[in-house]
Amino acid sequence: MIEFHNVTKRYESGFQALSNVSLRLNDGQMAFITGHSGAGKSTLLKIIAMIEKPTRGQALLNKINLNNLSRQRIPFLRRNIGIIFQDHQLLFDRPVFENVALPLQIQGYRPQEIAKRTRAALDKVGLLHKEKSLPITLSGGEQQRVGIARAVVHKPMLLLADEPTGNLDPMLSREIMQIFVDFNQVGVTVLVASHDLRLIEELDKPRLTLNAGQLILNDLDQYDSGDQYGSS
Amino acid sequence: MARHNVRRRKPPTTNQISAYLLHHLQSLIFSLGKIYQAPTTTIMTVAVIGITLSLPGGFYLFLKNIDAVSGDFRSSTQISLYLDLGTSEKQARRLEKDIAGMDSVATTRFISRAQSLEEFRRDSGFGKSIDTLSSNPLPHTIVVEPDEAETFTVRSLQNRLQAIPEVKIAKLDTEWLERLYTIIEIAKRSVTIITILFAFAVLLIIGNTIRLDIQNRYQEIIVTKLIGATDAFIRRPFLYGGVWYGLLGGIISWLIVEIGYLSISGPLARLNLLYKSDMNLITFSFQDFVVLIASSTLLGLAGSWIAVARHLNQIEPT
Repeated sequence: MIEFHNVTKRYESGFQALSNVSLRLNDGQMAFITGHSGAGKSTLLKIIAMIEKPTRGQALLNKINLNNLSRQRIPFLRRNIGIIFQDHQLLFDRPVFENVALPLQIQGYRPQEIAKRTRAALDKVGLLHKEKSLPITLSGGEQQRVGIARAVVHKPMLLLADEPTGNLDPMLSREIMQIFVDFNQVGVTVLVASHDLRLIEELDKPRLTLNAGQLILNDLDQYDSGDQYGSS
Repeated sequence: MARHNVRRRKPPTTNQISAYLLHHLQSLIFSLGKIYQAPTTTIMTVAVIGITLSLPGGFYLFLKNIDAVSGDFRSSTQISLYLDLGTSEKQARRLEKDIAGMDSVATTRFISRAQSLEEFRRDSGFGKSIDTLSSNPLPHTIVVEPDEAETFTVRSLQNRLQAIPEVKIAKLDTEWLERLYTIIEIAKRSVTIITILFAFAVLLIIGNTIRLDIQNRYQEIIVTKLIGATDAFIRRPFLYGGVWYGLLGGIISWLIVEIGYLSISGPLARLNLLYKSDMNLITFSFQDFVVLIASSTLLGLAGSWIAVARHLNQIEPT
């Protein structure tokens, strides 16, 4: 699913966020990216989400080289990814239903199909009864669950989450992480950046630890490839 | 092995064309909803557009009226021949027949000295003083109407008529008309310049409004980009926003001009009465209305297109 070959990212300011990072995340695998803030967790996710491009090295998503994508192709490739943000990034001018339905509208689904899938996604995160509410009226945990529903509504192959539990209390954080584990169990590849080490310890998943842009721990290989259908 | 293929996976969408049309409809309604949600901003923008467009619209209508009036003058170009006082009525009538046979002459009309006096007595209001005259001071008159209004033809006809011995004066009242036409031509060009300038102003107003709109929805644009929206998808609601501004502005400008027209028509009717003329004010025809609305709508689309092209591409998630 994701392959990094000696990826280096240096920003225009001169700051080197990633140095020679190589990794390989197989289809259906779930992993955590950990490290202090500024260690390069977000940059790694941004390269996969096609927000940033590597300065050197190669980043591949499903064998597609992300280094030299044309502007026109990016939207279509992003439709295979669900992104979850720490600050939810919900649109506050429209109800929960409309927020979750947005990826389907963008992809031109039929209205009946949109309604069906949106409700299914909201049901999955336990917020079906809030579909008509405005996001502002929801609690932080509920908002984050709406963000997750939006990220999974179009059944992406890959889920990326940047500090999804950053602002939540331990119990809510555990609930959110469990949702990711559930998605992973039905075959979705999941990559979560988090510094919530205690929570990560509880979940027996491979870890990628970054320190000052360098990958200092990578136990992806010690775990099962994650691909239930066989190795790729 | 069930490898997902990024390129081949297709969502169960409606066919591409109806999905496209669906989103156009959604954008149309969505942008209308945005306008409805922010009535103050919308009313102000639309009013500015309306007032701006009402100026060239009003000038256009003014010129259209002047044109209609002066058109009447043009069709009534005629040469009046005042004959020598010594010419007898018999001679004069024979002369009229000769002139009627000349080139470039459409019609002729003979007015005898007695008729002229009678008309003058009736219309001038000097009846009493005329009665005190011992003899009729007015000559026989032949009114010649040229078969075309073209200046050169009319002038050469005038010269030929002036050359006839019995004709004392061949009078052509077109010089002031020529001046009027020149003034109208200057006014027309001025209106063209004003129209271009004001259209440009509308373009800027709408462009700026859409630019602010883009800034206000910065976050939304970033989010939709991150979940796979194409540039065209993001652009569409803004373009429709511009279309709505243009359309509503056009309607406002039409209303302003119509109200202006109504407020003038009262005094004008009184003026008509005073001058015994039957000048009628012309308002926008249906065609004018369509052109006004269509061009303001197009200006709206163009203005928002410029803003979108300039600002939307600069917004990228970071």
